[in-house]
Amino acid sequence: MPQITKKSDEFDVSRYFLHLLDEDKDLSSGIAAIKTLLWILEKKQFGTIHILDTTMREAVAAMRQTDLSIAAIVSAGELFCRFITLSLDDKHMEECRQIMLNRGKIFLTKLLNSRQVIAQQAQRFISDGCRILTHSRSRVVLKALIAASKNKKSFHVYVTQGGTGNSGEEMVEDLQSAGIDCTLILDSATGYVMESVDFVMVGAEAVVESGGIINRIGSYTMGLCAREMKKPFYVLAESFKFSRLYPLNQRDLPNEYKYSRKHLNDVAKVHPLVDYTPPAYITLLFTDLGILTPSAVSDELIKLYM
Amino acid sequence: MKEQPLKEVTQLIHAIKVGMVEGSYSITNKTLDIFKYIIMSKSWENADALMQIVRAQCRILQAALPQETVTANIARRILKLIREEFDLLHAKVQHFADDSQASLSLHKLVTQTSETNICVDYSLPQKGLREALLDHLQEVETELETSSENVCVQAEEHIHSSEIILTLGHSRSVENFLKRAIKKRQFLTIIVAECAPACRGHNLAASLANEKKVELIVIPDAAIFAMMSRVNKVIIGTHSVLANGGLRAACGAYTVGLAAKHYSVPVIVLAPMYKLSPLHLCEQDAFNMVGCAEDVIDYDSLAAREAKVYSPMFDYVPPELVTLFISNNGGHAPSYVYRLLTELYHPEDLEI
Repeated sequence: MPQITKKSDEFDVSRYFLHLLDEDKDLSSGIAAIKTLLWILEKKQFGTIHILDTTMREAVAAMRQTDLSIAAIVSAGELFCRFITLSLDDKHMEECRQIMLNRGKIFLTKLLNSRQVIAQQAQRFISDGCRILTHSRSRVVLKALIAASKNKKSFHVYVTQGGTGNSGEEMVEDLQSAGIDCTLILDSATGYVMESVDFVMVGAEAVVESGGIINRIGSYTMGLCAREMKKPFYVLAESFKFSRLYPLNQRDLPNEYKYSRKHLNDVAKVHPLVDYTPPAYITLLFTDLGILTPSAVSDELIKLYM
Repeated sequence: MKEQPLKEVTQLIHAIKVGMVEGSYSITNKTLDIFKYIIMSKSWENADALMQIVRAQCRILQAALPQETVTANIARRILKLIREEFDLLHAKVQHFADDSQASLSLHKLVTQTSETNICVDYSLPQKGLREALLDHLQEVETELETSSENVCVQAEEHIHSSEIILTLGHSRSVENFLKRAIKKRQFLTIIVAECAPACRGHNLAASLANEKKVELIVIPDAAIFAMMSRVNKVIIGTHSVLANGGLRAACGAYTVGLAAKHYSVPVIVLAPMYKLSPLHLCEQDAFNMVGCAEDVIDYDSLAAREAKVYSPMFDYVPPELVTLFISNNGGHAPSYVYRLLTELYHPEDLEI
């Protein structure tokens, strides 16, 4: 019997998850993952904690099967499982469920608000007349830039194409429709424009324990260039993207992070989708927990998972 | 309603502007006195009102003296103290433990049970708050008084016999630190960069010359790089420490830092806790200050007619160039400063 229910669950979970993302293009996959997990918690009955735990893990596994970048899904899923463990009391199961649902809602509202908080923090760093380099498309960077533009600041943004796909073009369109001055550049022009920008501002798919980031391929190159030219390299990332990974180099990144699922069997001939930027290249991280130095990230993670 | 400065605040601002009160230690001390006076006065009913008065006066001080970050720092300390005392008394009355003091963290994000926990109602009247506050204010005062001494006692750990130490300008903490080292160690050589145009390095050299058994060398700022290769340690003071571990220090400190980096000489910065400010280097305009130009070039000289003259007061030194901070609580790496800041101030008070 468990075999059958598991099968149908998996189907439901990923469909609901994808439906959420489809409904709201602005939703981050991490938040969608947490929403999905909350939905499961609400809709299903659990006899024991053990079943609850396994269901959640299965749901995360199901979401990992979708063809999205998994970094945020993994970290959000892990955060949610931690959240369940921490909210457990020696109470009755049904009572526990109510507490969790209640807390879960608060948790979600806070997460949904996080981009706003980050955009607000970044305002003081975007000064009038400055020139900013950003990599491809990041919703939180976009939000911060639009907020700055609404604050009557005028600035110029250089956007890289961001490898294959048209995410760079999308970013440029979004910026232009918000009335922000911007230029689309080739990824290979990073070095060329670096001397003329004031700082670099990128998003992240995941923030790892060392304080480094995992982000779309080309971010590391940008970090290296920025360091060489002594330009500040700012990262904007929500706190649910904090992951319990400690890569030391690019090879340490798990393959599921680096390659799309259809290529996982043979990765020798495809190029990776993300890279790891070590903390040494990051000036500051803007998160909903405040403006952090890279070394503060591990502190946060230790506090949570200790 | 526009905020009115207290008489004491106006007096302090005046005293600082005309140079009667100098040095961050005395400024901090005087500011603390004002806040103590506010707490003792009867003009507030509850914690919320008190916090508003403190904030208002701090804003006035900041507007008048944007460079003196220590005033805001001590105000933040006081605000945190008020919050803590209030919560403590509140918890005693309400019989529930409240961890709302813990700063914003991932852990809290996950375990928060309800929205109401976030904002404590500080406007509730609380008996015994004044007494408790004054009690704890005493602790802050003592910490301030002993801070210089607590920094100095660490001199022995860092300075050894027959070492060559380089310093810049005249910082009172450095002066006391070096004097302590001279007493304990032999055959020290101290190189003082004069820090033109004010040349306060001369004062330091004069003061150190009173001590025996020390070799003093005063050099112009231009010779910093040339001398660095033979230096064992750089010890400097700072105006304030920023949130990322960077420094806002006397102009010339960046030169020293870069030269030290080039020769891999450790840079030790003496920074008592009250100099730690939770600010980032982003508002460039407010960061620096230009001093009197006549020190650089005489007004009646020929060149003064044509030339533009600037005499900036501060340098920003990035955290990579600092090896160690010595505060009254011990030594800390620059990457640890954020941690000290979260312990020192409440996250809601970062913006006053």
